[in-house]
Amino acid sequence: MTESIIDIKNLTKNYNGTKAIRGISFNVKKGEVFSMVGPNGAGKTTTVEICEGIRKPTSGSVHIFGEEFSKKSKKTRQKIGVLPQEYRSFERLTVKETLKYYSSFYETKRSIDDIIALLDLEDKKDELYMNLSGGLKQRVGVGMALVNDPELIYLDEPTTGLDPRSRRGVWDAIEILKKEGKTIFLTTHYMEEAEFLADRIAIMHQGKIAAKGCLDDLIHGHGGHYTVLLHGFDPKNVNLLGKEPKIDTNGTVSVKVKNPTEISKILQKVIKNDLKFANLEVKRTNLEEVFMNVTGTTIEEGDAA
Amino acid sequence: MKPIAIFNDFLANLKMWYRSKGTVFWAILFPILLMLIFGAIYQGQGDVTVSLHVQDLDETEISEEFISNLGERLKIETIPSDVDGDNYISDNNIRSALIIPEGFESSIQSAYLGSNESIPLSLSLDPTRESVNGIIRGVLGGTVQGWNNDISGAREVLSYQETSVTAEEFKFIDFFMPGVIGITVMTSTIYGTIFRNTKYRKWGILSKLSTTPFSRWEYLVSKMLFMTFISFFSTFLIIIVGVFVWDISVTIDVYLFIIVISTAFAFSGMGMLISRFVKEEETADSAAGAVTFPQMFLAGTFFPLEVMPSYLSSFARVLPLYYVNEGLRDSMIYEDGSGALFNTAIIFSIAAVLFVVGALATKWTE
Ligand SMILES: Nc1ncnc2c1ncn2[C@@H]1O[C@H](COP(=O)(O)OP(=O)(O)O)[C@@H](O)[C@H]1O
Ligand SMILES: [Mg+2]
Repeated sequence: MTESIIDIKNLTKNYNGTKAIRGISFNVKKGEVFSMVGPNGAGKTTTVEICEGIRKPTSGSVHIFGEEFSKKSKKTRQKIGVLPQEYRSFERLTVKETLKYYSSFYETKRSIDDIIALLDLEDKKDELYMNLSGGLKQRVGVGMALVNDPELIYLDEPTTGLDPRSRRGVWDAIEILKKEGKTIFLTTHYMEEAEFLADRIAIMHQGKIAAKGCLDDLIHGHGGHYTVLLHGFDPKNVNLLGKEPKIDTNGTVSVKVKNPTEISKILQKVIKNDLKFANLEVKRTNLEEVFMNVTGTTIEEGDAA
Repeated sequence: MKPIAIFNDFLANLKMWYRSKGTVFWAILFPILLMLIFGAIYQGQGDVTVSLHVQDLDETEISEEFISNLGERLKIETIPSDVDGDNYISDNNIRSALIIPEGFESSIQSAYLGSNESIPLSLSLDPTRESVNGIIRGVLGGTVQGWNNDISGAREVLSYQETSVTAEEFKFIDFFMPGVIGITVMTSTIYGTIFRNTKYRKWGILSKLSTTPFSRWEYLVSKMLFMTFISFFSTFLIIIVGVFVWDISVTIDVYLFIIVISTAFAFSGMGMLISRFVKEEETADSAAGAVTFPQMFLAGTFFPLEVMPSYLSSFARVLPLYYVNEGLRDSMIYEDGSGALFNTAIIFSIAAVLFVVGALATKWTE
């Protein structure tokens, strides 16, 4: 089994009265991207900040690199890189100056030029931070978490509020880091982000981990299925498909099946009976549905709560 | 402590500082404008043309002619001939005076006839006004030399002896310049500290820093070095304007350095303490204004405490800026050593307390 870089047991955190974290346990293994997903207020930031040493846990144990982590652990701080939530940097320093600034604190350093290249910031390196777009700012934020060539990188909602293209830019950077073998603790409230980047996922809801594991396991364990959608299908023929199809208001027929073999069976029936349809679509259960199944709400409803 | 990290932080602050219009306004333009505008407004009350008080004990045609020669280049004020000259000068705070002795005319006449007589004039000057004194000496010296040439073709018949007088009266700008230093150092340190602390906390910079090996104490050392640097920068800028534009005679001694450093520490401490309670960037401005404005107007920057009603002047005595202003005036302008020591000691103690409390109140993490 691979080594645990972060090991959390029975963690709780109260903010005078508010129970932000209600007893969670998880570990993050060397070289993986571990993603915590959940709505606003679920307790993601609190958890990350405890792991970073910014906050103190109310109870439970927190081990980082196998050591009990307290704020005073200078050795650990040399080995971690952090992008705080909603981070904004010094307005009147350039990209390069910002990276140099943070770099000056560490014993181990990654070359600034290397980071600039990795994050595709070459054209912007002499631009003041305040003049950058949101996406570029976040890339600088990721960059400043890399100046000490850390083994463990914390990224707290690195793409929240970004347009899809800028989000892609940040994802690309995270993928490169993943290939380099970095351990990454990523929080997000975008399901696609966790699906796309994470090796393992913890679904966080109201201070608890509602489910955790790799994407396949989560889907299998929590209502994993495929949905075959037939658009423009004559509703009179639904009984010929076998199973129990549903018909929605647009007249689209959907059939839930457990595995690809059952998809073939449906298709065989369509062919055998020469049934007509306008379009066919197969959807796999995604994290969004897993989230609904384990928490009973959608992530947007969770945000509002 | 890692000096290189501290140095880097200092350098980053300096870069951000000169790139920001607001801070440059408060530290450079604001004090220069104050000095120029207020200096100009109150200029009429000081000496515009250089004046010289003259007591003519001879009261003859020749002595009158001599005086009118001086009057071509100086504004002549008359001291009555029936009073004791030295007493009159000190009683009326006269800063430049010439006494022409009795027998002036007759001595000149005998000098014409070849006697060896010499005629001493006595000149009293306030040594704190060196540039004004230079003008008076130039005019008097030139006139005396001209007369000597006429009388005897170069022999020194007329001469003058100089004594120094110190007048208590100062111009408004003399009073005002130390006050400008006080408010400038106060505003740049308070505003700087409150803005930095609130923004950096809100933006996650303080959280971020707390995850790096850079410590809170290193950060504090760097910020204080920076604040002190900026404070001296403004101070010397103001002194330069004062000396070169308004001809203020400034004494620079160790008190000036201690007071400026203490002021930077006192108001940074106050800023740290206030930012503990300021949660939003938007309220930072009003919080900083709330502590700087009353001090600006009540601590004796623009007008002396003596002109204020007594309840206001006793309130001024609890304001740290009051001691800064007083101390700076005593050391830079009035050369009042014991006053300077007293005020320096007070502002130093205030600085020690405020700074320690402020530093302890500043937290990066919970
Ligand atoms: N400093 C704080 N003081 C009091 N309550 C807080 C504080 N930070 C977070 N909380 C509360 O703790 C809960 C979890 O918040 P957070 O960890 O920020 O969640 P997330 O990052 O998932 O949005 C929320 O109910 C939030 O209001
Ligand atoms: Mg959060």
